[in-house]
Amino acid sequence: MSTGTLSIADYHKKTVTNRLGLWLFIMSDAFVFAGLFIARFYLYGAGVRPELSQIVGLIVTSILVLSSFFANRGEVSMAYGDTKGYFRNTLITIILGIAFLIGVVGVEWQIAPYGPDHDALWSLFYTMTGFHAFHVLTGVIFLIIVYRNARKGLYTAERHFPVEAAAVYWHFVDVVWVFFYPALYLIGLPPI
Amino acid sequence: MNEEQKTMALQVGVTVLILLAALTIGEYFIGLFAPYWWAPLMAIALLKAFYIVRDYMHIGRVFAGD
Repeated sequence: MSTGTLSIADYHKKTVTNRLGLWLFIMSDAFVFAGLFIARFYLYGAGVRPELSQIVGLIVTSILVLSSFFANRGEVSMAYGDTKGYFRNTLITIILGIAFLIGVVGVEWQIAPYGPDHDALWSLFYTMTGFHAFHVLTGVIFLIIVYRNARKGLYTAERHFPVEAAAVYWHFVDVVWVFFYPALYLIGLPPI
Repeated sequence: MNEEQKTMALQVGVTVLILLAALTIGEYFIGLFAPYWWAPLMAIALLKAFYIVRDYMHIGRVFAGD
């Protein structure tokens, strides 16, 4: 049965279950990121960090925080029936997501002094940022799919769980970076 | 009424953005001048995550069941 044929009450019941499934997925994914985060401190403690551009780190972090803000505005807009607001804010979120990817993979990885084969610290840096960037990429794809479906008129103020799911996933990616940013860019000094 | 609720919901988003921006700038300067202060930096990260999970991810909806 498609969700379009469900009554509003049944759709809301289904949403409660879907929401729980989404959060269970997010929790299980969070454990993988937590493993990488702990590995970074287990191997190098709080005294050493990779030699990275602090400015690039601040810029990409600001971009991701700003993208979360627009993702939230998009979801709120859809929840109140403002589809134009949803389209505008989601488009900005997608653009900022792509800008973050360019910042990390296209700039930070290119100017980094070492490659992933240099030592465990650099291997961890590329694993953490690469795994996170892959999540950003899938988040962007997810947002584009939901955006296209919204263009076809599949969602309304009462029936828009995919819009919520895409936004929650996007914010999760932001939360991960909230911990990765100090772990990689701020805590400790580059080894001499 | 609906428009009022929407404005309030959007206002929460703006407040969280301002908080996140202030905390990010704060942690940037701590990292610049006191890179060994890992505990305050982790505390700031936890605070930022708390606001995102509560106000952007709406974790309360999972427990409210609505």
